Amino acid sequence: MNCIQAQALMSAAVDNELSLKEQEGFEKHLLKCPTCFNEFKEAQKTKHIIREKITRFTAPPSLVKSILELCDSHI
Amino acid sequence: MSSSSDNKNAPEKKSILSEKDKIKQKEFQEEAIEHINALYNYALHLTMNPSDAHDLVQETYLKAYKFFSSFEKGTNCKAWLFKILKNNYINKFRKNAREPGKVDYDLIKDFYHSIKDSQSESEDLNAGYLRSLMHDEVYQAMNSLPEEFKEVIQLCDIEGFTYEEIANMVESPIGTVRSRLYRGRKILRSKLTEFASKYGYNTENEEPGEQ
Repeated sequence: MNCIQAQALMSAAVDNELSLKEQEGFEKHLLKCPTCFNEFKEAQKTKHIIREKITRFTAPPSLVKSILELCDSHI
Repeated sequence: MSSSSDNKNAPEKKSILSEKDKIKQKEFQEEAIEHINALYNYALHLTMNPSDAHDLVQETYLKAYKFFSSFEKGTNCKAWLFKILKNNYINKFRKNAREPGKVDYDLIKDFYHSIKDSQSESEDLNAGYLRSLMHDEVYQAMNSLPEEFKEVIQLCDIEGFTYEEIANMVESPIGTVRSRLYRGRKILRSKLTEFASKYGYNTENEEPGEQ
């Protein structure tokens, strides 16, 4: 596997979306390529920051109420 | 003046659903309502406007209830609702849609303002969240991403969908989802470098030595 092939798998590696075979090839490449290894670590950190820092809103009670009423009217 | 009282009982709406269907519908509704916060957040990020987000979520449920029979139990209800919401959004806002890749800072600013305005009306919009959002560098970095990158990062990192689900939602092959995530995170990373060092996220790859 070369760097271009590894980059194509980078996001899937971060998200545990690689097939076993892809995973094997990817890991082998990272062991011999510090550039891709660093990039992989950075991509992991980016995901981590997003997960941790993006704020989540709660649906307003009026919306929840209207959806529940919608439910009832459909039964 | 008419002496006869007109007993205008609304005609009992005859249900065309069988008992089995009713049970299925009830099950679906119970499952669907669990995803309301996720849908609201997604709608908020798409529309940048609480009132539009409210409408979008409402329309999504209306549509979902209408087509509940096409929903299969055990399949991903959340992904299905997101897909409906996204389609609704496209149909509704396509005319005014921003060009992908262009950042409308006025829109983002408006978003913050409208969120701020609705704060007093909706006790549920957590005040602490809002304050942090106004100055949130991560949030702003996310919002400055081209739409197609922002979307996949939202669906993957925030909502936790699988690549297959995302591919289905954005109607692109999985390979495209992979590459958008790769490129999106790369852009985000450069925007967040400063943030990361400021708030102690280690951006160096070598762990600091123990001694």
